[in-house]
Order: sequence, then structure tokens, then C-alpha cells
Amino acid sequence: MPHWSKSRWVIVPLIIAVVVLAWNGYVALHAGGDVEGRVVDAAGRPVPDATVILLERHFVMHNERQRTHTNSSGYFRFSGNDNHSLQLEAEATGLGRSERRVVRLWFRAQNVRLSEPLQFAGRLP
Amino acid sequence: MQRRRTFLRHSALLGICAGMLLPFYWVLKTAVTNENIYAYPPRLLPTSPHLFNFVDVWYFIPFPRYLLNSLIVSALVVVCNIGFNAMAGYALTKSFPAKRAVLLVFLSCMLIPFQATIIPAYLITSKLGLLNSYFGLALPLLSTIVCIFVFKAAFEAVPQSLVDAARIDGLTEWRIILRILLPLSKAAIATNVVLAFIWSWNAFLWPLIITRDPTMQTLPLGLARFLSYLEDTTGALYAFAVMVLAPSIFVFLMAQKEFIRGLTSGATKG
Repeated sequence: MPHWSKSRWVIVPLIIAVVVLAWNGYVALHAGGDVEGRVVDAAGRPVPDATVILLERHFVMHNERQRTHTNSSGYFRFSGNDNHSLQLEAEATGLGRSERRVVRLWFRAQNVRLSEPLQFAGRLP
Repeated sequence: MQRRRTFLRHSALLGICAGMLLPFYWVLKTAVTNENIYAYPPRLLPTSPHLFNFVDVWYFIPFPRYLLNSLIVSALVVVCNIGFNAMAGYALTKSFPAKRAVLLVFLSCMLIPFQATIIPAYLITSKLGLLNSYFGLALPLLSTIVCIFVFKAAFEAVPQSLVDAARIDGLTEWRIILRILLPLSKAAIATNVVLAFIWSWNAFLWPLIITRDPTMQTLPLGLARFLSYLEDTTGALYAFAVMVLAPSIFVFLMAQKEFIRGLTSGATKG
């Protein structure tokens, strides 16, 4: 191995380049723009046909970008998200609005599944 | 007794180091939280630290573009500095008529602040057609007098017999610089790299004046733009500051040993 290849001026930039490449590879594989999760009532039961609103951050404001509805299991899914700082909110007749959930992503269009469901304060009848 | 004195001295040095590093720590702490820097009472440890402010900085403004511009300009400055300064430093080790006058002119030019010459510099850059270009951004820093003297001191420290031997072996002046003097002046090169990189990286006024196109702006201009765009951005603002600072700190840490040696050599033999 040549002497110059052991220099820190070669090794450190090489390590940085490898980390950057690996990160970009990871981003390329996980940037589908899918945001999914569940909506439940105060008792934890899934809320079907609730409207879920996706808001994305623009500098200091959050603007509505997409809406979708939950299925019979309270599951919802957005596709085509291309932002990195989101808010999600659900609304349903008789239950009002859920708390607004801030979702921060590590990169634009990161696929994400909410670990905790959006929850209404009220209960389904 | 001796051990106690050493302990006290080291404690004092550690205290001074901690005091000097505190502002950097505070910037870093603010960057990983959303705490206001003026919050009272101040908290020493960050609460709920996260790295999302760095993500915001990366996406809210064209950070990668600014980073690329800064890297290109700094690379140009560093490469040209080493080349031009080494040549000038070598010339100043030789005896020639009016050498003393040249040295005096160099030294007196160091007293003139860049702000005083910025209009002529702008006009010259404009005449050369280099406004709004990478080369134009790098132009005023392509050679720096301080670094010329660093090279001069380093070259003078090389035994004359080596240079004479090289000349007898048939090496040209260019090859003497390349093959003999530069390999023996690693400390001077490291000093030049660090100083040129940091000066170029942190330059604000010159890029502000000569760039028209936002895509040609460098990181310090991006920081100013970021500040004007966003409100209530304590965390993101300091994250930006950390991201701007990181490359210069990295370059300094990589070259610190040679950098200190280069400066000391310049101080004692210049």
C-alpha cells in the first residue's frame, strides 16, 4: 500500500465520501413519499371514514397539501409527499378534530408510518 | 509541591479552555434544541435535543448549492494560494535589486484594509469579465501577503546546500520549488491551506458585492438570506451557523499540528 494512502488527508475524506454515499443510497431507497398511520377514538377504537389532513411547512407557516379518508380499520395513507416537516390532523363527524401531530422527517419524501395513531378526544357511539 | 503546582496550572488552563469553548458549546446546544439563546435562567444541558434543525436548514434554502459554491471557491483559493505564494516566497529568498523596497511595499499593503480597496477590486474584476463567477469570487484571495511571508520563512529554513546541490544536478527553478522546497515545507503548506480556506470560507463582503445570481452565492450570504427569510428560528439559525463553521473547523483540526509549526516557524525566522 503506497505511503500517501495512509495519510489522514486521504483516509478522512474517503470515510466522509463513503458515509455520504451510503446515506444517499439509503435516502434513494426510502424516499417514496408515503405517509401512513391510523386514527382512533379516545377508547382506542379505529375511526372509519375520518378525514385526515396533511399540512406541510413553508418557512413559518403550515399549508394544507392533501386530504384523505381512513378505511374501515381507521388506516390512512398519503402518497407523493415531498416535504420534510409535516403536520397531520384528523376530523370526523361527531368527534371533531384530533390533536395536530407534528411529523419531522430526516429527508424529503421519507416513507413514514406513525408509531402512535392520531387520536380523537371523543368516543365513537 | 511540584505536583500541586502542575495541578493548579492544569486546572487554570482547563478553566480557560472551558471559558473559550463555552460560546461554541452554546451555539451547538442551541442548534440541537429550540431554546432561545437568551432564555433565562439559562440551562447548561440541552433539553430534548434533536437534529431536525439541520434538516430544516438543508431544505428551506438551497444549502447544497451554497455549499458547493463555497467549496469550489475555497478550493480555487487554496490551490492558487499555494502556487502563487510559493513562487513569490521563493523569489523573496533571492537577492535582487530593490528587494528591500518590495518587502516594504508588501508589508505596507498588509496595513490597508480590504474594504478600502474593494471598489478598485470590483472594477478590475468587472473589466476582466469575472463578475458573478467562481474565479471572480476567488480573485482577491488568490494570493495573500501573510502566506507569502510564511513560505519565505519556510524556504529560508531549508539549507542552501540542498538547493545548490539540486541546481548542480540540473534542476530548473520550478523543479527546485516543486521537488525540493515544497516537500520540505509541509508546515508552511498546511498554514497556507488553513488560512486561505478559512478566509475564503468566511468571506462575506466580496461575494455580496460581486454576485448577482442567487445560485452563485456562498454560505455566508446564504446565512444572511436565511436570517431574512425566517422568523423565530433560533434553533435553525444556529444549526446553519454550525453547518457553516464545521468545514473550517474540520480543515483546521486536520492541519493543526503543521499549522502551529508553520506559524511558529514564520514567527522565529521571518
